[in-house]
Amino acid sequence: MENALGLTGYQATMMTIVFALGILGIGGLLMAIFWPKRWKMKYRMEIGFVVLLAVLVWYADRKSTEVYSAYQADLNESGELSVDGYEAAGEFDRTLRVIAFQWGFAFLTEEDEISRNAAVVQPGERVLFEIISNDVIHGFNIPAVGITTEFGPGENRQVWIRAPKEPGKYLIQCLNYCGVGHAQMKAWLVVEGPEEGGEV
Amino acid sequence: MTSANDTARMGGLPHWEPADVLGKMTLSDLLFSLDYRHIAIKGILTSIVMLGLGGLMAMLFRTELAVPDIQFFDARPYMSLMTLHGMLMVFGFVIPFVVNLMYYMMPKVLGTDRLIFARGAQWSYWLLIAAALLLVISRPDFTWTFYPPMSLRVGGELIWMGYLAIVLVAISEFLAGCVVIANGWSAAKRIGWSKLPLMGWAAISEGLLLTISTPALAFVGGALMTDWLGTTALFDPARGGDIPTFMFLFWFYGHPAVYLPLMPAIAVLYTLMPRFLGRPIWSYWSGVTAFAILTVLSFVVYPHHFQPANTVSGLLERTTQILTMLIFIPSTLHVFNWIATLWYDDIPISAKRAIPFKFIIAAIFFLILGGVTAYLNAQIAVNADFVHNTYFVPAHFHAMFVGFMGNMAMAGVYYLYPYFTGRMFSQRMGNLHFWLWQVGILGKVMMMYYLGFVYFPRWVVDYLPLPQWAIPQLMLTGAAYLIGLGFIVFVFNIMWSSTRGRTVQGDPWPVEMADTPATAAAPAE
Repeated sequence: MENALGLTGYQATMMTIVFALGILGIGGLLMAIFWPKRWKMKYRMEIGFVVLLAVLVWYADRKSTEVYSAYQADLNESGELSVDGYEAAGEFDRTLRVIAFQWGFAFLTEEDEISRNAAVVQPGERVLFEIISNDVIHGFNIPAVGITTEFGPGENRQVWIRAPKEPGKYLIQCLNYCGVGHAQMKAWLVVEGPEEGGEV
Repeated sequence: MTSANDTARMGGLPHWEPADVLGKMTLSDLLFSLDYRHIAIKGILTSIVMLGLGGLMAMLFRTELAVPDIQFFDARPYMSLMTLHGMLMVFGFVIPFVVNLMYYMMPKVLGTDRLIFARGAQWSYWLLIAAALLLVISRPDFTWTFYPPMSLRVGGELIWMGYLAIVLVAISEFLAGCVVIANGWSAAKRIGWSKLPLMGWAAISEGLLLTISTPALAFVGGALMTDWLGTTALFDPARGGDIPTFMFLFWFYGHPAVYLPLMPAIAVLYTLMPRFLGRPIWSYWSGVTAFAILTVLSFVVYPHHFQPANTVSGLLERTTQILTMLIFIPSTLHVFNWIATLWYDDIPISAKRAIPFKFIIAAIFFLILGGVTAYLNAQIAVNADFVHNTYFVPAHFHAMFVGFMGNMAMAGVYYLYPYFTGRMFSQRMGNLHFWLWQVGILGKVMMMYYLGFVYFPRWVVDYLPLPQWAIPQLMLTGAAYLIGLGFIVFVFNIMWSSTRGRTVQGDPWPVEMADTPATAAAPAE
C-alpha cells in the first residue's frame, strides 16, 4: 500500500528515534533505582543531552517539512490549491468532489455522477479529492493510504492519493467528532478490478 | 552537583504533627473554614469523588467498547458519558486535586504557615462544585472541546447549563490561579528569587497559566451560551459567525490546560523526592529553567491541536511544529534532574518501601512514555497520517494525565494521609493499588498507542469488527477494569485505615538507610 504522504521510510526513522529515547529515559530511571553503583552526573552531560534534543528537533522539522511540502507541491503544480481549481485537475487521473455532511460522504465525479458513501477508482490511479462540509467540522481519513484532513463549513480542502493497486474496498472515515452519528460516518474507497477483496 | 545552597532552596519540610484533622472537622469547617488544611482536604476528597464518578463513566463506556456493535448505550448517552468523563476528570479531578496538594504543602514549604488569599481558594472550590452540578444536569454530549457549530446543534433544553458550567469552571480556575500566584510571589519577595523553593516557582508558573488562559475559556463558554440562545452568532457560520476564532480562543486555554495539572504535579514531585531521599534535588537551576521555558511555550504551541485545518498553514504551521517539539527540552530538564537526583547517592530503604515514593517513580516512568511520543505528534507529516484525532492522541494524554499526574496525585494523598488522619494506611492495600494501577495504565496506554497507529477514530460508540481494532479494544477495556479495581482498593484503604490504621506520631516518613536506624521517631504502635 502506498502511503499518500510517501512517509514510510521517514516515519520508521522517527519511530526508531522515539523508541530509542524512551528506552534511554526508562532505562536510566530503572538503573538509577536498581543498579547498585551510584553516579554523580555532571552539568555538561545535561547540556550535551539538550544539544542532542535540539539536533533531533532540527532533523525532524527538516524531514517533516520536506515530506509534507513535496505532497503539497504536487497539488500546487497542478494549480489545485485554489478554491476553483476543480477545472484544472489535469495532472490527476481522477478528481472527485466530496461533500461531507452529518453523517456521511457524497462523491461527485467529473461527469456529475453522484455516489453516496462510495468513491469508485481504478487501481494505482492518482486521485484528487476536493472536500467541503455543508454543516459542521468534519474529518476525512483513508487509513489504507494514511491521509487525514479536517475542514469546517465554507472551507475547500484538497487531498490527493495514489489508489491502492489491489482491488477492494478501503475504509474512509470521519475523524472529527461531528455529532451523535459520528461513528456511522464512513464511506468506502472502492478500487475496481477483476475481483474486489475485503481489505480495509 | 548539589551544595548547601541547594539544601536551603528546598524550602521548609512539608511536615505537620500527625493528627485526626479530618475527623475533627465540623460541618462549619467543611463549609466555611479558611484554614488551608481544611480547604485542601475538602478539595482533595472532592477530587477523589470526581475521580470515582469520572472513572465509573469510563467503566461504562469501556464496557460498551469492549466488543464491536452496540451493546448497552446508543450514541447520545454514550457521548454524554464520554463528555462528562472528560470534563469531570480534567476540571474536577486532575487539575483541582494537584492544585489542592499545593494548597496543603505551600504554606510549609514556602514558610508562610497560612494560605494567602484563602478566601479565593474557598470561592474557587464552591464555584467548581456548582459547575460540576450544572454539567451533570445538562448532560452535554459535545465532547470537552465542544467545537461549534456542532456543539450548538446538539444537546437537550438544559444544555445552556453546560455552557454556564464552562464559564464557572473558568472563574474557579482563575481564582485558583490568583491564590497560587499570590503565595508564590509573596514567598519570592520574602525569601528572594534565587532562594525560592521550586514549589514557589511552580506556583508562579501555574498562576500565570491559570490567570492568563482562563479568560479565553470564560469568553468561549459565554459566547457559546448566547449563540445557543440565539442572542449572538459569534461562532455559528450559518449565521455569519466564525469557527477559526473559536479554535484560536478555545485552544489558547485548551493547551495550557494540559499544563495546569502538570506544574503542580511536578512541584509535588520536587517537594517529595528530596523528602524521601533525605537529600536535595540534583540541580535547582535546571528545575527553575524548565518551569520558565514550559510556561512560555505552553502559550504559543496551541495551534497544533487543529493543525490539519486550513487556518494553520505556512509559517504558522512550521513555527508551531518547531515550538511544539522544543517542549521536549524543558520536559527533559525535569526528567534528567529527577534521574540524576535518584542516581547520585543511595536510595534509602525507607523510600523503597514507601507507597508515595513508588507512585513517584511510576509517574516519572509514564512521563517519559507519554512525553517521547510528543516528538511524533508534533510533526506535520505524521500528524496528517495517523496521529490527528485517532487513539494516538488519547494515548499520549492518558499517559500524561493518568500516568504522570494521576500517579502524582496518589503520591501526594498517600504522603499526606497520616498527617490529616493521624493514622497510617494499610501498606498491603497500598501496594495492591499501586500494582493494579501501573499494570492497568500501562496496558491502557499501549493499547491506545497501537489503536491510534491503526487509525482507530476517537469518539465512536461503535466500530467495524476488524481484528486490529477489536482485540486491542477488548484488552483496553480489561486494562481499564484493573484501574477501576485499583481505585476501589484505594478508597477502601483510606476509609478502613482512617479508623483502624495504626496511629502515627512524630515523623511518618523517617529516612532510613539500609545500615542505619531511622532518623526520626518511629510510630507509636
